[in-house]
Amino acid sequence: MASRKEIESSLVLLLFGAIFLLYDLKYPLDQRANPGPGVFPLIVGAALVILAAWLLAQDARKPKAQAAKENDEGTKKSLRPFLQSNRGEAKPLLMIAVFIVYLLMVRWVGFFISTFLFVIFSSKLMGAKGWRKPVALSAGINLFCYFLFVAWIKLSFPRGFLF
Amino acid sequence: MDGQGILSSLLIAFQPVNFLACFIGAVIGTLVGVLPGLGPAAAMALVIPMTLKLGPTAGLIMLAGIYYGSMYGGSTTSILVNVPGEPASVVTTLEGYAMARKGRAGAALAIAAIGSFVAGTFSVIALQFFAPVLARSALAFGPAEYFALTVLGVILLSNLTGKSRAKSLIMIMVGLMLSTVGFDPVGGVERFSFGLESAQGGISFIAVTTGLFGVAEVFSIIAAKEEPLDLLPVRFRELYPSRKEIKRSVAPIARGSVLGFLIGLLPGPAATMAAFASYGMERRLSKHRNEFGQGAIEGVAGPESANNAAAGGAMIPLLSLGLPFTPTTAVLLGGMLLHGITPGPLLLRDRPDVFWGVIGSFYLGNMMLLILNLPLVGFFAKIVRIAPRYLMPVVLVLCVIGAYGDNGNLFDVWVMLGAGIVGYIMRKYNYEPAPLVVGLVLGPVMERSLRQTLIISRGNMSGLWDSPICLALWLIILLTAILPFMIGYLRSKATARPRKSNS
Repeated sequence: MASRKEIESSLVLLLFGAIFLLYDLKYPLDQRANPGPGVFPLIVGAALVILAAWLLAQDARKPKAQAAKENDEGTKKSLRPFLQSNRGEAKPLLMIAVFIVYLLMVRWVGFFISTFLFVIFSSKLMGAKGWRKPVALSAGINLFCYFLFVAWIKLSFPRGFLF
Repeated sequence: MDGQGILSSLLIAFQPVNFLACFIGAVIGTLVGVLPGLGPAAAMALVIPMTLKLGPTAGLIMLAGIYYGSMYGGSTTSILVNVPGEPASVVTTLEGYAMARKGRAGAALAIAAIGSFVAGTFSVIALQFFAPVLARSALAFGPAEYFALTVLGVILLSNLTGKSRAKSLIMIMVGLMLSTVGFDPVGGVERFSFGLESAQGGISFIAVTTGLFGVAEVFSIIAAKEEPLDLLPVRFRELYPSRKEIKRSVAPIARGSVLGFLIGLLPGPAATMAAFASYGMERRLSKHRNEFGQGAIEGVAGPESANNAAAGGAMIPLLSLGLPFTPTTAVLLGGMLLHGITPGPLLLRDRPDVFWGVIGSFYLGNMMLLILNLPLVGFFAKIVRIAPRYLMPVVLVLCVIGAYGDNGNLFDVWVMLGAGIVGYIMRKYNYEPAPLVVGLVLGPVMERSLRQTLIISRGNMSGLWDSPICLALWLIILLTAILPFMIGYLRSKATARPRKSNS
């Protein structure tokens, strides 16, 4: 594994811990006999920062030859091979985008219509051919959810202007 | 406990509602074990809103059914298609798939099911004896003891999960940090909610679990190239293991049951560890050592028994102390809390119907799974071939409903999506999601017990280790924290010495 990846993740964690601690300053620590709401977050946040720093230090200390070799692999890439090696990423990213649109739609159009469209689109995105099967699947799962969750469990889903 | 406990537990489990709940749970569990994309923890989280309709006893029986049903289902796909449905079945692929290629798939499946049944029953009996005893002694536990115990859990968990101890610890810390969102458990001060009303009650762990184990898994499957699965056929006639195979399996099943149960008591991914430990043990002890890797039945019988026994063993800290150390038991705890039941030393006294009902359902569920799985094994194996492009959208919709149904607000669904994205990235960077979920659930217990201890001792830090139980726990913590480093140090010295003498 590229050590650059390791360093990246440690840095992100460090940053997360630091922001968390900064935010925690807002909450009182009080005295030791009656610790306030800021104490526990302070302890775990500090633990995270220490651990992440330790991981970072370990990776930075790695034998130079090894790190250089790994770095070579990491930096020499031009754009095309980079894109090629990360081609698998396109689909999850698209999926996440579809998901976000879906969740935004639920609020305006209502749960069932959005879900109906979401299932069709996501199965098409994953490579389903034709329209009949995805539509049938989507109708099926919607009916199933309606009877199980609305008719039986009486869960109320967000409704839109249509349904 | 005594005969009365066993009898009453079975009577509760045989009530029609509970019987049905157990059956449905076992079927869902088997399906989840077979299908990729939805682990047992996520599936249980999804079902929780449904169980609220059923009431606590039947609801928890259903959740427990999913829990051990997935153990059965996971082994089916390991043997037939070399794809473990859940992590505890990874070891089974080694010998199980090799056996299937030799044409002994049926025998491997049968032995796995029988081993699971024997081990499951063994662990239930042990659970029945141990849990009340532990629950009674747990009554002596005050906040200081609880705090020490959770710290021990955190340390052990980080020692036992994943490849990197530091990374597991980091994930636990992130979980603990997330657990501080919302009203604080002692004073009720609102923290880290950023003015969002929906965040006041804290981050829904159901949303986080479905995100990390459901949505993230779907993203990974989408990213992976689709490979056609090579399904080996099983005929019903082949399901009978030969007499020799049975004879060779008896000892591994017995050893796996005991080993698995003991490992189940420890915090951490007990079922997976138990399976690996048992495989290692069988390979060392077997008379047919040369067959290992080419389909040795011991390598199926031992681990399959061990992971089921561990699933039972892991129920002990949950039912008697109220502390979950695996994602699945964490979800079970969450389910209990939603039903208004607080697991812990008082559960047996306050809600004996729930306590014994869940234990009784273990007997029943194991029997059902044995009857269900052997004839239907071909059917379950075929399900694996459902194309992800049809399965994954359904999984995603179920995740959305599960996250939404918990509190009925969309904020939780956004949390789930966030957890899914983070979980997907975590996988790429070799961070395990399980410790995070456990941290999220243990967080409030840890914080409350720490602050209560300090209040009781009037700010005196020694209150943390004043009682003999606490002192013992802290000593164990110290040992478990230092031991891995000591072993590592000694090993590096041992390898350095011969090198020196060479030069």
